[in-house]
Amino acid sequence: MIRKPSLLGAIAQYTILILAALFAFYPIWFAFLASGRLGDRLYTLNLLGMFIPTEWTFENYRAMLFDKPLLTWLRNSFYVASVTTVVSVVISTSAAFALSRFRFYAREFTLTFLLAVQTFPGVLSLVAVAQVLTALGLFGKHEGLILAYTAGTLVFCTWNLKGYFDTIPVELEEAAMMDGCGPVQSFILIALPLARPAIAITALFGFLSGWGDFVFSSVLVPAPDNMKLVVPGLFSLAGSQSVPWGYFASGAILIIIPTIIVFMALQQFLQSGLTAGGVKG
Amino acid sequence: MVSRSGRRKNLTVFFFLAPTLLAVLVFNVYPILLNTYVSFTNRNKVHPNPDCSVALTGLLDPLCWPVFREHAPTGLAEPYTLADPLFKNYTELLGKLFTVDALLALLRVVLVLLPLALAFFYNQRKTRPDLALASPGMVWLYGILLTLLASFFIDLPGAYANLMKTGDFLAVVARSLIFVVIRVPITFAIGFILAVILNSPYIKGRTFFRVVLFLPWAASSLAILMAKVWEFFFRQQGTINQVLAIFGVDGKAWLQDPTTALAAIIIADIWFSYPFFMVTILGALQAISNDVYEAAEMDGASWWHQLFNITLPLIRPAVLPAIVLTSISAFQMFGTAYAITAGGPSMGAGQPGATEFVMIYAYKQIFQSQNYGRATAFAVILFIMLFGATLYSLRVSRATKGANE
Repeated sequence: MIRKPSLLGAIAQYTILILAALFAFYPIWFAFLASGRLGDRLYTLNLLGMFIPTEWTFENYRAMLFDKPLLTWLRNSFYVASVTTVVSVVISTSAAFALSRFRFYAREFTLTFLLAVQTFPGVLSLVAVAQVLTALGLFGKHEGLILAYTAGTLVFCTWNLKGYFDTIPVELEEAAMMDGCGPVQSFILIALPLARPAIAITALFGFLSGWGDFVFSSVLVPAPDNMKLVVPGLFSLAGSQSVPWGYFASGAILIIIPTIIVFMALQQFLQSGLTAGGVKG
Repeated sequence: MVSRSGRRKNLTVFFFLAPTLLAVLVFNVYPILLNTYVSFTNRNKVHPNPDCSVALTGLLDPLCWPVFREHAPTGLAEPYTLADPLFKNYTELLGKLFTVDALLALLRVVLVLLPLALAFFYNQRKTRPDLALASPGMVWLYGILLTLLASFFIDLPGAYANLMKTGDFLAVVARSLIFVVIRVPITFAIGFILAVILNSPYIKGRTFFRVVLFLPWAASSLAILMAKVWEFFFRQQGTINQVLAIFGVDGKAWLQDPTTALAAIIIADIWFSYPFFMVTILGALQAISNDVYEAAEMDGASWWHQLFNITLPLIRPAVLPAIVLTSISAFQMFGTAYAITAGGPSMGAGQPGATEFVMIYAYKQIFQSQNYGRATAFAVILFIMLFGATLYSLRVSRATKGANE
């Protein structure tokens, strides 16, 4: 497996890599090209224009930023996703700590139970969730959406963090308790700082689940336009016949690029955080 | 852990767990209960509202609770009642499955798949590799060959067509399974090949390729938007047909044909999901010590031999849970298919479309047809299936965990 490849082998390997890289990169590049073209010219791309920007205009970007409510959508999404992240990290950290550190009656059961109820398909619990939110008077409001997202991310976050807490040696907290710390104190002063990497990853996942979600946000906050989140908002642009596709492309580029950059920056973290947490189930 | 006994400890545990349990009760457990109840009623577009005088409805439907009465939408429409007969929604979904014809067709499908199942269990059971009659790869090969042979003799397409007529459930589930069976192995293969190449120290620009090949995973957090870009490729006047036009080929309407529409979704979904396998396998490959290969080299093992007898068995613990998890999530795939075909092309009025996978079907039943009764019955059956699959995945990851560390 590690021997130096023959010339033929090397050529084959590079060919595969280059083809795969083109496959991986092209859709994003295409969206970028489309974002710089006026909508009606999208269907007359020449061969060259499919690979390099033969013409370029910032009109789509200008329209998206100033004529369309893109910035409002972005603000909404950012608000919902950040509050979701904070709430779900706080709640799931405490649950994970209890599940990892205490041996109590029905502990195993609680863990499996959390996982079991999570398998109920999200799309299908939406009707009931929408009903609960209607009853609470939160339907169509961002707060309702935050509640739904938080509940949706809790199980994953709890499992992930619990796995990480399991890897932190208990002795440190025991020593703290010897010195007179209560469980709450030892949780906040000892365990939390040690679990920082896992908490960061969990937070990122919580954020992304709210940031990229389509179904919940389009159902639970259907209208008006200035309440929408960015993904359903852009999605409705892409399907619309009256709005040029270039608008959608520029909007998509505006939110995909930062997301990709964040992902790239945290790539190492992502991998280690996931394996460290040991949520493989 | 520190043994703190009695009530004090229980209180602390409760204090730590309470918010999570409350959220899970309200947003997970309660929907499941309500769903199960609604699946036995005739709630739909014509009967949308609850009749609070019925005991169970009054108990389960939040719009009946005194606190929330004022938010309840009041309409002139008839309230929903228990379905008559009780299992009506279920029989509509599974419908004609329990007829002789359909059961025979099911039996035929099972017979065709039997060799694969046998191969799987044979490989699982075997504890001493040296006692095995054949290597796992060979067993799989025999299984696949036997299955192909069997599908030749037993009229598989006929049986499949027969089963498709039994009701929405099997049609939708079969489509999702076909999607999973095609998509997961392809993604695995692509991820594996790329990981093996990227793992070789002789490749120049490894970091560059790794970053570029990782891009789709980053984009997949906004899957539905990128899927819209993919949809643009496959449109009648889309990118692919424009390229074909340059070469003088008249492209077809890819998304209007059941087979090519499925292919389009699979290609787009492969784009989203191969990086996950690539990264997982790369991680596993890097954990294998070089000494193993050097020893094998000494013994004159060929490249293929090393691949099948060293690499694959050693990455198995890391990769198997990933495969099971990906299969479960691919089965429930929603965004990509919804953005590209929205379940179409149509297979006739009242029938699920050619790419209507389970979640798309559920979504359409709820939000387009407002057929709550049937959608919830569908949810209940699906829940049982997914629950089993999740328990299995848990067992797989536990079983492989020891080997992982």
